[in-house]
Amino acid sequence: MIKILKDERGFLMVNVIFLTLITAFAAMILLNAASRIKNPQSTLRLTALYLANEQLAQLESLATAGSELPTSFQGEPKDLITENLSEENPIEFEVKTEINGDNVCNVKVTVSWIANGREDFIEVERAIWIAKESS
Amino acid sequence: MVGKILLKLKGRFGLLKKVRSGGFVLIEFAIALPLLVMILYSLAMVSLNIFRLGRDQLADYVLEAEAQYAMKRITQAARFAKDVQTYGDSSIVKFVYHSLGNTGYNKPIPDLKNMQYLLYTSRDIRETRYFRGYKRANRNYPNLYVERQEGSYTNPITGDNYFGDTKLNYLHCALDKPKKILHIELELESLVTERKIKIATAVFMPGLEVE
Repeated sequence: MIKILKDERGFLMVNVIFLTLITAFAAMILLNAASRIKNPQSTLRLTALYLANEQLAQLESLATAGSELPTSFQGEPKDLITENLSEENPIEFEVKTEINGDNVCNVKVTVSWIANGREDFIEVERAIWIAKESS
Repeated sequence: MVGKILLKLKGRFGLLKKVRSGGFVLIEFAIALPLLVMILYSLAMVSLNIFRLGRDQLADYVLEAEAQYAMKRITQAARFAKDVQTYGDSSIVKFVYHSLGNTGYNKPIPDLKNMQYLLYTSRDIRETRYFRGYKRANRNYPNLYVERQEGSYTNPITGDNYFGDTKLNYLHCALDKPKKILHIELELESLVTERKIKIATAVFMPGLEVE
C-alpha cells in the first residue's frame, strides 16, 4: 500500500477502486430498499373488506324479514374507526350503499378512507333477494 | 549580480527544489481514510435498517395473512351453522351443524316376505366446530385453534410461522338471535413488530335455528 501511495497515480488508482466499490454498495442498498417500502393500504383494504361484509350481512338479514333495504350503515358504529395502521393514527371509514332492483337487489357497498393524504376505496357487490308475501 | 542573489534566495527558500508529491498524498490519504470509514459505517447502518424493514415487512405480511385466513374460516363456519354458542369474553365459539349420519340407509329396501318396502331414515348427527384461543404448555402466548371436538388441541391456525410469530389477543363473538346475525371481532398481534390487527365483521346465518 505504501509503495502504491508513493506517487499520485497510485493514489488515484486506489481512489477509483474505493469509489467504485462504495457506489456499487450504495446502489445495491438502494435497490434493496425500493421493494421494501411499506404499503399501508393493504391492511386497511382487508379491514374495509370485512366492514363491507358486515353491512351486507345486515342487509341480508333485513331482506329475509321482508324489510326495505336502507342505504345507511347498519353495522356497529365503532367498526367504522380502525387503528390497524397505527394506534396514534386512527382511520375512519365511510360506507356508502347503492341498491338497484326490486325483488332481487343488486347491492353495491363502497368503503372509502384517507390514509397518509391518499384516498382509497373498495367496492363489494352482492345480489340479495327480498322475501315478499305472495298475494 | 542581482540575478545571482535572487537565485540564491530562491534556492534557500526551496522554491527551485523539485516538488515531490509523496507527502501531500500521505496527508490526503490520512484525511480520506476516516472519511471512507465514515461512509462505509453509514452504508452499513442503512443496510441494517433495510434488513430490519424487510424482517418487519415479512412479519406484517404473516400477521395480515393469518388474520385473513382465521376470519375466513370463522365466517364460513358461521354461515352454514344451525346453532352457535359463545362463552362471554373467553375466546371460544362453538358452531353446531346437522349432518346426515348414514346415507346408505336413506333408501327403500324391499321386504319380500311381507311384500312391502322398508324405509330407513338416516340419523341426524350433531357436528360441532370449535374456534378457541389456547396457550400450549411450551408457549407463552395463545394461538387460535379450530377443532371438531372439545378439548383436543392439535391444529392451531395462527402462530408458529417461521417469518413472524403471532399471538391471539381475543376472539369475541356476539349473536343477535332475532336478526340471525353473528358479530365477530378478532385481534391478532405480531410478536416481532408488536403491531396489532383487528378485524370486525358480521355474518348472516340463514340456517340458524331460533326457538
